[in-house]
Amino acid sequence: MRPPAPPGPVPRPGRRRLARALPQAALLAVLATGCVSPAWDDHDYGLKAGATAQAAASSVELVRLAVRDHDRLTTPYLKTVLTEASGDLGSVNDQFGGVQPPSDAADRLRTQVTDLTSQAEEEVQGLLIEVRRDGLRDPRGADRRLGELAGRLREIEEAHR
Amino acid sequence: MKKLFAVTLGILTAFGGFVDIGDLVANALVGARFGMSLAWVVIVGVIGICLFAEMSGRIAAASQRPVFDLVRERLGPRAGLVNLGASFFINVLTLAAEIGGASLALELATGVNYLLWVPGVALVAWLVMWRVKFETMERIFGLAGLALVVFAVGLWLLGPDWGRLAHQVTHPPSDEGVPTYWYYAIALLGGAMTPYEVFFFSSGGVEERWTRKDLVTSRANVFVGFPLGGFLSLAIAGCAATVFLPVHAQVDTLGQMVLPVGLGLGQVGLALVIFGIFAATFGATLETALSSGYTLSQYFGWQWGKYVRPRQASRFHAVVLVVTIVAAALVLTTVDPIKVTEYSLVFSAAALPLTYLPVLMISNDPDYMGDQVNGRFSNALGTVYMVLLVVVAVAAIPLMLATKAGQ
Amino acid sequence: MSQKARTLHAQLHLLDRQVVHAGDGRLVCKVDDVELAAGEDGRPYATAILSGPLALGPRIGGVAGRLIVATTELFRPEERPAPQRIPMALVSEIGSAVQVSGDPPEAALERWVREHLIAPIPGSDGGGEAQDGGDEEPPAPRPSAEPEDGNRTRLAPLLGRRVLDADGAPVGQVADVQLTQDGPLLEGVQNAFQVSGLIVVPRHTGQLFGYERGPGGQAPALVKTIIRRLHRGSRYVAWPQLASPLPDTGPIRLSARLAELSSLAELYERDTAG
Repeated sequence: MRPPAPPGPVPRPGRRRLARALPQAALLAVLATGCVSPAWDDHDYGLKAGATAQAAASSVELVRLAVRDHDRLTTPYLKTVLTEASGDLGSVNDQFGGVQPPSDAADRLRTQVTDLTSQAEEEVQGLLIEVRRDGLRDPRGADRRLGELAGRLREIEEAHR
Repeated sequence: MKKLFAVTLGILTAFGGFVDIGDLVANALVGARFGMSLAWVVIVGVIGICLFAEMSGRIAAASQRPVFDLVRERLGPRAGLVNLGASFFINVLTLAAEIGGASLALELATGVNYLLWVPGVALVAWLVMWRVKFETMERIFGLAGLALVVFAVGLWLLGPDWGRLAHQVTHPPSDEGVPTYWYYAIALLGGAMTPYEVFFFSSGGVEERWTRKDLVTSRANVFVGFPLGGFLSLAIAGCAATVFLPVHAQVDTLGQMVLPVGLGLGQVGLALVIFGIFAATFGATLETALSSGYTLSQYFGWQWGKYVRPRQASRFHAVVLVVTIVAAALVLTTVDPIKVTEYSLVFSAAALPLTYLPVLMISNDPDYMGDQVNGRFSNALGTVYMVLLVVVAVAAIPLMLATKAGQ
Repeated sequence: MSQKARTLHAQLHLLDRQVVHAGDGRLVCKVDDVELAAGEDGRPYATAILSGPLALGPRIGGVAGRLIVATTELFRPEERPAPQRIPMALVSEIGSAVQVSGDPPEAALERWVREHLIAPIPGSDGGGEAQDGGDEEPPAPRPSAEPEDGNRTRLAPLLGRRVLDADGAPVGQVADVQLTQDGPLLEGVQNAFQVSGLIVVPRHTGQLFGYERGPGGQAPALVKTIIRRLHRGSRYVAWPQLASPLPDTGPIRLSARLAELSSLAELYERDTAG
């Protein structure tokens, strides 16, 4: 004899639906945070430029910290830090480059920001090549140049927040 | 004398084993952005994990029942299954993060890309879980994790302005939004109170066959070892606050997180911290992978544990093996392990009451506990934490959406 | 036999507990459900512990539960697969775990996984602590049909059933089943646990989490208050207050009126006094 399907306690539909919806909401959240959204107007574009400058300045400052005290760090470590920073700068550059500037003023801002971020990327890549070859040639000069770049990026960040 | 040695060893193991990739990432991120203004969350989290780990250790010693066994008993099969699903998902996510962390540490040491290390790390971790005795395994990686003390030494040698660090404790930086502040508070709490820690702690108690006599050891581990681990977390945040906050640099890779130690202690410090991170994340890889096996086996009543031969707990070992492979595959998709860690922290925070409520209930049940039921103090504090954890759980996901995961 | 027969609450003390082998401490299974048979006076008593997906699936219910059952039936060779049974006569202790003696059969999945995945890996025989009798393999899973004699039902379907009083007015739903160890002798060893009453709660408040036993032990005041509040109006229905032996489906009818039922508070006050 097989017992008939037991009715069991009456489920609470609301709570169960919620329990099922949670993972989906979580997935959506993960997806939503990874996208680039278009810029609606000059203000929005400015905010994006500010955020880009901030991210680039952060990477530049990190490289500067490592370069200034490079003799205290190991070469594989230095390589990893520089590789990560140049990768970060590259993706920041690409992401901002992908946003359509809505006006002429935005065009000028775009040139200003991408000039700086490209310069930073090139600088870091140059340093990376030196480290891979036979160590940093002019750490003091690099420190100064990076400091200057970071300062100009910060100015843009301050102007657009 | 022998007893004292065992207790000291236990404390050191708990100390070295406390910090995992979640604590590391959360504290470094928060230190760089908020200085020491979220230090209070670490303290709240450490008190919480002490409270509930002590309860689960006491349950394990008094009744030989691990936590997830009790989750199903108290919540019933249906709510227990939802709980199992959530805990298992978070466990796999955390496991992936730990494998990624251990591989990243190897990359920092050798300069070889971390993705090449992932299969090796997963394979060695599985071999350890397959062959090495539970106690040996826990001891070795716990003690090796003590190398992370260099974060504290590094902070000391960096010679920070202590007054300024103290000032930050009560003054969050003005340029960060309020929701972002609370989002990171939740991530920190999720890091300190990750659910797998109590699954592992209580199952470990059963594996080591704790009895009432071992309660002293269990309490010493919890009340001395965990706060010392929490102190390390604060040192990590302090390092980041000293080096990164003044130049407004945000950290988002493991390499950047250890930079302060390198600046403070030089190459030796760098080598030690990388070793410590490897030991801590590798140890946590074992803990999370075993926890996945523990939760699933304990829900379904399967034979589990490393105290029997693998062939006597086939389903348990199969789960551990499969989970390790899945997590390694997840890391190999080149998803950023640090990002995975951040998400796993927030999901952990959202699932906290699911784990801790049954613990609180059972530790009050004289059927299981005999005369070891909770005292008034544990109950009062436990209730306060339950309210707090429910608030955190409700707020976690909405805050993540609102702040775009803390951007 | 002791003077007062032991009383258990099935949901609280029996269902979902770990089953452990009394001899070597091996973990056997969970109490996924309990099999009942009707005694002479129609009062059901527990005959066996049921375990495995075929017992657990119906309790989970919904799509997940049906999926569990369907998948398991697909892999079982028998025509009418039934869950694994462990006769109650083998149960030696019910505490934080249920201890059983004898030779409970191994789960089919465990054996399959061992033969096809774990045993072929080198080293599957070492690493653990040496255990007494650890070398012996537990008996192979055997096809388990329900016993031929009489109708067997399960305990879990009683939970959540609607209860109507003598006038047909709703009392609530069954939250737990009280069992008393004064049933017929099982294989001449021990008395069976027999249904002696129902705990009925007024709303869909779920289970009582053990707090129905009243002020024994310290509970966190807040949790206790919330649970008490949810369960105010909970009633205890003694077996003689049922109108007929438990029906297989549909609501359970009482021969008593709502006002005549004792509240849970009275039950535990009587228990602690006695």
